[in-house]
Amino acid sequence: MRTATRLAGIELSSWDGTRVALGDTWRERPVVLVFIRHFG
Amino acid sequence: MRDRLPEFRERGAELVIVGNGNATFAAAFREDFSLDGPLLVDPELRAYRAAGLRRGRVELLSPRVPWNALRALARGNRQTGVQGDPWQLGGVFVIRPGGALTYRFMSREAGDHAPLDEVLAALEPDAPEMEETEAPSPLARLAGRALSLVLDPTIVASFDRTGYRVHSLAFDPRDLEVDLGDRRCLVTGANAGLGFETALALADLGAQVVLVCRNRLRGEDARDRIALQTGSRRVEVCELDVSDLAAIRATAPKLADGPVDVLVHNAGALDSERAETAEGLERTLATHVVGPHLLTRLLRPALERSQDGRVVWVSSGGMYTRKLQLDDPSWTRRDFDGVAAYAEAKRAQVVLAGLWAEALRDTNVVVNAMHPGWADTQGVRDALPRFHALTRAILRTPAEGADTIVWLAASPAAAEHTGRFFLDRTPRSTHLLPFTRERDAERRELWRRVEAWSGGEAP
Repeated sequence: MRTATRLAGIELSSWDGTRVALGDTWRERPVVLVFIRHFG
Repeated sequence: MRDRLPEFRERGAELVIVGNGNATFAAAFREDFSLDGPLLVDPELRAYRAAGLRRGRVELLSPRVPWNALRALARGNRQTGVQGDPWQLGGVFVIRPGGALTYRFMSREAGDHAPLDEVLAALEPDAPEMEETEAPSPLARLAGRALSLVLDPTIVASFDRTGYRVHSLAFDPRDLEVDLGDRRCLVTGANAGLGFETALALADLGAQVVLVCRNRLRGEDARDRIALQTGSRRVEVCELDVSDLAAIRATAPKLADGPVDVLVHNAGALDSERAETAEGLERTLATHVVGPHLLTRLLRPALERSQDGRVVWVSSGGMYTRKLQLDDPSWTRRDFDGVAAYAEAKRAQVVLAGLWAEALRDTNVVVNAMHPGWADTQGVRDALPRFHALTRAILRTPAEGADTIVWLAASPAAAEHTGRFFLDRTPRSTHLLPFTRERDAERRELWRRVEAWSGGEAP
């Protein structure tokens, strides 16, 4: 399965508490999706 | 990465950062680095896992880690206190609208970073989509086969998620490197659980998918989720209760209005009380056996027109506990036991799949049955709450349970088989206990009965 398909359905909290479905982040434009090791 | 933000935006892209700590740290991080774009938190590492990112102690102890940290320090990026899961490694992906992946970088050790020029190149309009399958490892396949020999006889360590992990070592990822753009696939019970995962995977491979669901609203919700996840607009809903023979007769022409290359009999239910359909059939038998038989019969001409027709029966490991029941298949003389009725219907499905394979032997259609192992689906939670509570920690994900359904429906390798029973892409015995074996005359009798019942004869 494509990476995008596996990720798209996952909903995460934004830093400000709103919920974001990952699939929505590339619905309109390309996205550079960076997974960081940790904050700080 | 943040310094290059204007360059990303010049190319019409957005930078989305996912971290594995909590929201408080994320807010501070955002302020420290003056980020104004989306910043998401994934403390359960769901997205990290789905992206296939590594999480390894060994990697973090690599001798290059202190060197990378020193290098970062020299550039003024001091590493401060660790927050979140310290063992989780990161990565960078470039995904375009529609879901095409044009860049992937998966960190192998702490401190290695994606080369930014490569990321920028992946944002160019002509950047090619990446190949997403990995080459199989002969060593892993060998290890998978060897471990299976040891674990499979235990049953538990074969049906559970350990079993999946071991068996899947021997999978060839190229088996599902297929374009289903010219295939139309029907999946019953597709709004949740294994059916949903199957429909999702088939849509991901480009197929036109019809979600055959009892409840239209739930079907449409599933269709919308699949569309969101795959970007596919080739998913439609057909409302149909497969225990309702009259409804099957009324709906089949609509389903056959177009090619039928794949038919997945997945819809299932475990009743706690005995219930009867309008035709006087016990509902478990109607849902799993008689309805699917009738549907196959009505779609047979369409399936036979396919160059590569596939029928997949989703059975259950529970069928190993029961023999083919012909004395009282509709539970009129016995005290109803929902679990036993389910297991008997699942046994009948396996026998029936074999009979259909024989009936279609000289056509382009192959018919196979499978069982998904023990998967954590809503169906299992609702129907078997005690089993679910006991085994929760070792259950497979729905996607793992659905893997063999997808493989049987889509892989060229699977077209070589017909009339067989699979777990984890491998044909298995249909009997583990001596008393469950049926005679050939009993198999023939099952065919005669389902033909009569689906023709309207009362049991």
